Amino acid sequence: MNQAMTAVIKKDFKGITSNRRLFASLLIVPLALMIILPSIFIFMIHFIPDDPDVQKLLDLIPRLDPSVSIELTVAGLIVNYILPVFFLIIPIMAASIMAASSFVGEKEKHTLETLLYSPLSAGQIFRAKVMASFLLSMTVSMISFLAMFAVVETEVFFLMGSLLLPDINWLIVLLLLSPSVSLIAITLIVRGSAKAQSVEESQQSAVFLIIPVLLLIVGQFSGVMLLNVWILLGLSILCAAAAWLLMQRALGKFTYEMLLR
Amino acid sequence: MQTVILENLSKTYPSGKQAVRQISLSLNSGEIYGFLGPNGAGKTTTVKLLTGMLTPSGGCCSVLGTDPALNPAKTHENMGVVTEHAQMYDNLTGFDNLIFYASVFGIASEEGKKRADTLLRQLGLWEAADQKLSAYSTGMRQRLSLARALIHRPKVLFLDEPTSGLDPESAQNVNHLIRELAENENVTIFLCTHQLRYAQEICTRFGLIENGRLLASGTLQELQAKTLPGALLKIRADHVPADLTLNRDTDGQYEIKIRSEEDIPAIIRRIVEAGGNIYSAAAKRPTLEDIYFSLTAQKKEEEV
Repeated sequence: MNQAMTAVIKKDFKGITSNRRLFASLLIVPLALMIILPSIFIFMIHFIPDDPDVQKLLDLIPRLDPSVSIELTVAGLIVNYILPVFFLIIPIMAASIMAASSFVGEKEKHTLETLLYSPLSAGQIFRAKVMASFLLSMTVSMISFLAMFAVVETEVFFLMGSLLLPDINWLIVLLLLSPSVSLIAITLIVRGSAKAQSVEESQQSAVFLIIPVLLLIVGQFSGVMLLNVWILLGLSILCAAAAWLLMQRALGKFTYEMLLR
Repeated sequence: MQTVILENLSKTYPSGKQAVRQISLSLNSGEIYGFLGPNGAGKTTTVKLLTGMLTPSGGCCSVLGTDPALNPAKTHENMGVVTEHAQMYDNLTGFDNLIFYASVFGIASEEGKKRADTLLRQLGLWEAADQKLSAYSTGMRQRLSLARALIHRPKVLFLDEPTSGLDPESAQNVNHLIRELAENENVTIFLCTHQLRYAQEICTRFGLIENGRLLASGTLQELQAKTLPGALLKIRADHVPADLTLNRDTDGQYEIKIRSEEDIPAIIRRIVEAGGNIYSAAAKRPTLEDIYFSLTAQKKEEEV
């Protein structure tokens, strides 16, 4: 990584933070998914009415440790099984906002050509831009995770009188699945950016990337396919391999001519 | 020293459009080469080929000994480019934009600041240095683009319509800077424009291009000798002898075609000896515009 590439990465970060519209959309999704949604779940669990029907439903939930209250068990299921899947939306969203604005946005504003006249090769520009999108996506994901964790723990502690430990699912999601998912998102957007003529167009097509995650969410809630550590680990490795393959192919195609078309 | 060399350079776009057809020419250091032609003649495509943005479909070119198609990043190290489509970041100030490009070119931060400072002053942008680019006028952007292209002290400069959108004063400023670069720092300047009068004022050599073909190349004198030899003598006089075949132009001046300036004394002597009064006499050499129109007319005739 040389000085020029670092300068491009810094500039891309500044471009996002100084654009109020982009920065707001970068904040709203994590806020909704990682602060508001978990809080709603926790409060709902705590304030469940003593309805016999609801009680019957709760009795169906498997209780590994009978000494733990039913409230805490449900909260644990939500935090460790439901939230990780929701969490995956964040790296995709952050990566797509940044990648769309950094490739198509530069093309749209005619600044990409200027950058191409620099002594950076097309491949170096590509790597700098992917790196910027990836770093942003990982930063936003980490901050979202820490914020969610702080909020959920506080709520659980005050409402249910105990702390909840995140299990190994989270570790896999944070360290493996979300980095590879965000790389897939970035590469797909970059590939599309050769054709897309506006940032909006590029962002719209990025939305489709969320569909597989939505399917996972549905599967998780309905119990069709409950993610356990092994499934999660397998999925992560699959995604990482896909990300690497896509990246290599995109890097080969990345030429000046393709970009300025 | 030859800095830019084009050998049978051709570019045909995938759509089938032949934008550049077998152009061969070379530029020396310290030269301001005017690459002239109407819109769509292939000027911008030629610049894109020379800067490595496009790969030629035939022939080859080199800038400072490097083929831009094979090693664009290396050629860019010593090359500055100003084109209409090479814009800068609206969310940064003029100064910050220059600093950004300085660091992209690997210039140390302190030196980059100094260089940006000097260039902003030279181009009359110092007062707007801390304004965001979104507040800049077209002319200011144009001048900042030139500053950006010069930030790394390039040895070859490609300018595509550098003074379009500039007011007369800034244009003069820019021209002065371009001349200084060529004369004092030996920078090679490849200047594309469709404004022939402007080109005649600033360039030392010219290439005339139409439909992707190079019609002629050379200094003004060479082009004059090649296409429109001789000159037009304009005389304001009265009592001109009737046997002298002179045409009268719209201003009432007499016009006569001459082969060279050697012919003038004889003509004047005859008028004076015949009792005529001469108020003024001037030989008009063909301008770049005259040459260009004559060349394109010739081309059309050939095609017919």
